[in-house]
Order: sequence, then structure tokens, then C-alpha cells
Amino acid sequence: MSYLDAISRWLKATGLSWAMLHYTWVWPTCQILHLIGMAFLVGIVGFLDLRILGIGKGIPISMVHQLLPWGIAGFVLNMTTGILFYIGDPFQYLHARVFHFKMLFILVAGLNVLYFYLSGLLAKVEALGPVEDAPLSAKVIAVVSLTIWVGVIYLGRMLPFLGDSF
Amino acid sequence: MPVEFWRFLKAVELSGFSKWVREANSIWAYPTVLFLHTVGLAFAVGISVAVSLRVLGFGSRMPTKPMDKFFPIIWAGFWLNAFSGTILLATDATAKMKNPVFYIKMGFILLAVITVQLTRNRVFRNHDADTTPVSMNSKILAASSIFLWLAAIVTGRLLAYLTATHIVGSDI
Repeated sequence: MSYLDAISRWLKATGLSWAMLHYTWVWPTCQILHLIGMAFLVGIVGFLDLRILGIGKGIPISMVHQLLPWGIAGFVLNMTTGILFYIGDPFQYLHARVFHFKMLFILVAGLNVLYFYLSGLLAKVEALGPVEDAPLSAKVIAVVSLTIWVGVIYLGRMLPFLGDSF
Repeated sequence: MPVEFWRFLKAVELSGFSKWVREANSIWAYPTVLFLHTVGLAFAVGISVAVSLRVLGFGSRMPTKPMDKFFPIIWAGFWLNAFSGTILLATDATAKMKNPVFYIKMGFILLAVITVQLTRNRVFRNHDADTTPVSMNSKILAASSIFLWLAAIVTGRLLAYLTATHIVGSDI
């Protein structure tokens, strides 16, 4: 994976990387935005997952879908601030196993959503009546989603303890 | 505050439990408490944001009455954070209790909880909510809860950076 080393070395030499560490307010500000993005993402996705699991029956699942742009906004905010952290100090992440696992978990969360769409399960769930029970397969996807996102929070929070990032 | 109070805080801080959480080189000590505090934040703030967005007109076709069932999730996140936050406070009690940012954070949380509960009563427990338009007052309450939660996140993160000695410049 030496090309990742090369990219990381190049990133470390950029002015942006310098700025991320030089101004003491930048890092905490990005952490605050990363927490806010996380709350939006996990809150909206969690709301949909919990609804599929049967909480708040009476709300048609297709209508919960209207809130998803806010969850996606949270994800974009976190991808942006996350990339900024990486640019700031690539080598505290590149070789940290806990960081690799965090990225893997996010990838699995993405694949889980992709499967939900492509398998037609989402369409099936959205066609249900407001108080109808979702099929077991959709509930499994919802549990996987909740578990993965709590796992992402865990791995992110453990970066300074299981890895050595700040 | 009376000197007995500060002695009590110091005793809490020096207790075996606080010392273990603070100083044990274990993933189950300080790191796990921080993790719980972050999960509680995600569900308290995140679900609160979701229901507030509904009041503000996003996903406005969702019926409000069944959404009341999501408030226990908000409360579960809140109590998880009251619990984990109390442990975090115990590990650093005297410094935190001298830090103005700590009181500002608690103020934001208190006001957030009040606005969340007022929104719940006005909209999600109101049987006419789905047949009448959401009032401007309810929208102001919902927007306030989002703002107050975000302000609590900002001050909470800053607490990790600001110690009492930076601000007050004394120690007990």
C-alpha cells in the first residue's frame, strides 16, 4: 500500500495540512462539526431504522424518507471534516488498525444501504400500510445499520486510545 | 460556595472509582465512558433533530401522533448522558465546577430539555396537530431545541480543551 504512503506524504506537504495544525481553533472546530454531522446522520438514519423495527407505527415509512437529505447532509459534513483531519495529520491514521476498521464499518454501512435499495426491499417496505409490520429481512437490515453506526462511533471515539491520534 | 462543598468534590475526585476511571490504563475505563457519552449524544440530539425538523415543515406529511413514540429514545439518550456525564464530572469535579463553560453547557442542556418537552406537549401530544397548521410558536420551540442541542455540543467539546486554570487561574 505504498501509494497510500505517497499520497499521505504529498497531503502532509500541502498548505492545507499546515493550516489544520497551525491555527489552534481549526481542529476543535472541525471536531465540533464532526459531532454535529454525526448527530444528524445517526439521528435521521436511526429514526428510519427504528421505524422499520416497529417504533412509531402509524408513520408511513415512505414519509420518513423525506428526512433523509438531512442525514445525507450530516454524512457529507463528516466526510469533509474527516478528510480535513486526514490531510492535517495523515500518519496518525494511515497505519492505525482502529482507523482501518472505522473505514471498513462505514463501507459496510454503505453496502447495507445499497443492498436495501437494489434488492427492492426498500420499495417493498415503502409500499406497506402505515401500521403494517416490516418483513424480517428489512428488520435485519435496520439492526445491521444501527449496529454498524454505533460501531463507527465506537471506533471513532477509540482513535486516540486504540490508535494514537489526537 | 462553602468550603465543605469543595472538600466533598475533592473527595469524589480522589475516590478509588474516579481514580480508576481517570487513570486505569484500560479501554473499559475513561474511553468507554466517553464512548457512551457520544452514543447518548447521537440519539438524544439526533432523534430530537428528526422530530424538530418535522415541526419545522420537513417530512410534513408524517402524522405527528405516532412520532410521540420516539421521545422515549430521546430520553434514553439523555439519561445515558446524565449517567456517563456524572462519571466524567466525578473524575475532574473541582476543575469542572470552577469552569464557567461547564455551567453554560448545563444551561444549554436544561433549556434544550425544556424546549423538547414543550414541543412534545404542544405538537406530538396534541390531537388536533395533524388537522391544523403548525403554529409559529411551535416552530420557534423546535428551532430552539436544535440550536440549544448544538450549543451544548459546542460547549461540551470546548470543555475538553478549556481547563479551569485557563479561565480562573486558581486551584483548590
